[in-house]
Amino acid sequence: MEPVIKVNNLVQKIGRKPLLQGITFEVMAGECLGIFGTRGAGKTSLIHILAGVDRFSSGQITIYGHNIRKTEKFKRDIGLVTQANSLFRDMTVVENLDFIAALKKAPKANVLEMIERFNLKEFLSKPAAALDIGALQRLSLACAMLNRPKLLLVDEIMKDIDLPSRNLILSELEQFSAGGGTCVSAISTLTICDYIDKVAWLEGGTITLYDLQEAQAEWDRQEKYYAEQSGRCHA
Amino acid sequence: MLKQCRAVLERELFYMWRDKSLRHILLIGPLLGLLLFAGVYSYQRIGNIPTGIVDLDNSSASRQVVEELKNSQNLQVAAYFDSFAQLKESIKRGEVIVGVVIPDNFGKNVALHRQTRVAVVIDGMNMAYATNASSAILTVTRTFGAQVGIQTLIAQGIQANQAQEAYQSIAFPEEAWFNPTLNYAYFTVLGFALNVWQQCLTLAACMTIIGENGLRSWLQIKTSGISSAVLFFCKSLVHIAVFMLIVFPLYYLAFVVFKLPLACGWLNLLSFTLIFIIALHSLGTMMSSISRNAVDASRYGMIIALPAFVISGYTWPLEAMPQWVQHAAWFLPQTWFFQGLNYLTFKNPGWGFMSHYYLALGLMAVLFYSVAALRLMVENFLPKGGLM
Repeated sequence: MEPVIKVNNLVQKIGRKPLLQGITFEVMAGECLGIFGTRGAGKTSLIHILAGVDRFSSGQITIYGHNIRKTEKFKRDIGLVTQANSLFRDMTVVENLDFIAALKKAPKANVLEMIERFNLKEFLSKPAAALDIGALQRLSLACAMLNRPKLLLVDEIMKDIDLPSRNLILSELEQFSAGGGTCVSAISTLTICDYIDKVAWLEGGTITLYDLQEAQAEWDRQEKYYAEQSGRCHA
Repeated sequence: MLKQCRAVLERELFYMWRDKSLRHILLIGPLLGLLLFAGVYSYQRIGNIPTGIVDLDNSSASRQVVEELKNSQNLQVAAYFDSFAQLKESIKRGEVIVGVVIPDNFGKNVALHRQTRVAVVIDGMNMAYATNASSAILTVTRTFGAQVGIQTLIAQGIQANQAQEAYQSIAFPEEAWFNPTLNYAYFTVLGFALNVWQQCLTLAACMTIIGENGLRSWLQIKTSGISSAVLFFCKSLVHIAVFMLIVFPLYYLAFVVFKLPLACGWLNLLSFTLIFIIALHSLGTMMSSISRNAVDASRYGMIIALPAFVISGYTWPLEAMPQWVQHAAWFLPQTWFFQGLNYLTFKNPGWGFMSHYYLALGLMAVLFYSVAALRLMVENFLPKGGLM
């Protein structure tokens, strides 16, 4: 089976500073890859590159068989949730949904469905800029799913959000995976990530692939090691 | 694509309407400018120029000069002084603009047909005042000089009609075309109001690109797959339409209510305005494409919009500017517009003449939009940070 995402020797430099140094990985259909790393590791850059938002220095990326340097056709099958609020601040919730649906050529019925699924009815006339983080992330995911994407790219969607929103989003992501959707999710913690199948540990511009349990075990090992090194814990 | 286009058009229109400060600047700014300038220039010309007189002679001849000054259309004798020093002090304080000093023995010298001199001083601090004062005083002195000359010839035994003919053998009748009364309002009100309008337009146009790709919501647009060409074409359509709509009430007030001259007719005026809007929008879009952020774009807009009117040659002739300023001025759409506007509204010189103006503005639009598109393409093809 052909992978949905194929990244080969990807290099990204910001100015002269190398951020991604020749990373290679694949994501198969129905899989959810977690890109794990600390702040500044390059998770957001990688997500933006995969979404076709940022250009990259060298390497090759194909998504659904399309070389993303050469075409934007792959964009009709993707949905992006950014870490920072990238919705239209001057618009209300419903205007955001309508406008993004129009940009993505999605039918009006999808807007109504997303309002229902993401529990957004009470916020419809509120400006997007005035939403609390939970409602904002629900709206962001709703906007990303308006075109019924086959590939979801989400960046730190669970960070700092309230429990009801977190559960609603988790449930949606699980449903998306169950429906055969592919997902790449940037995460900075290995908790609340049951929806993830594989973890790409991004550190120093390179990645190491683990399954979720291995990644959690590696995290625990490193945590213990550095605690001992600092003399904080003498276990 | 039509659905995308419609959504962008609607959103841009709502955005411009919803942004209160932008709405006020665009709608109220130019209209307020027009009303203000119409009020300022409502007298249409400078009259009643305060004039001070020092009559050191106090003879019938000197009183005749004073009478001529009093009867002058634009001068108003405001004060009489005993000495030149008093007059000087009064001019310094701005109480009088024109000072006339009639010397001792003026009457005697006139009677003896000797050359005599009446000193006229004009406060040159305000150029508009000074030019008008100079012109008014010239009319009086010319008339009075002719009268004295004729009287001298008569005194020498020449017949009155012959003396008069001798003085009027060469007549220089002045006739101002296109603005016969040299009305200030005709000349300045529309230009100044349109200057406010073009400044608003330039600043708004400078946000065309950076107003999108400088915001985080640009990520949504980029992910959606809509092409930059479609997006910015639709945005530009809205801008151009809105800029055109804004000028309608301004033109209505100027030409219908205030009855400023409109020699070319509405169709010519509106088509010329449209091509200018497109050229100016293209210039703003180009500046927007090279700006790193919205603040930079506003600065670029100000740098262009503020001096553009001054160097357009509207208020001070281009030919009287240094060569390099003249060359620079012709690279700005504002110069072509304000020059062309004057020709159209006052003279309507015809398509053969005006076609150069249309062509220049059209070429500018093509050039500036092309640079903006090129800049966007370069940005798209370089990796992030590649332009740093």
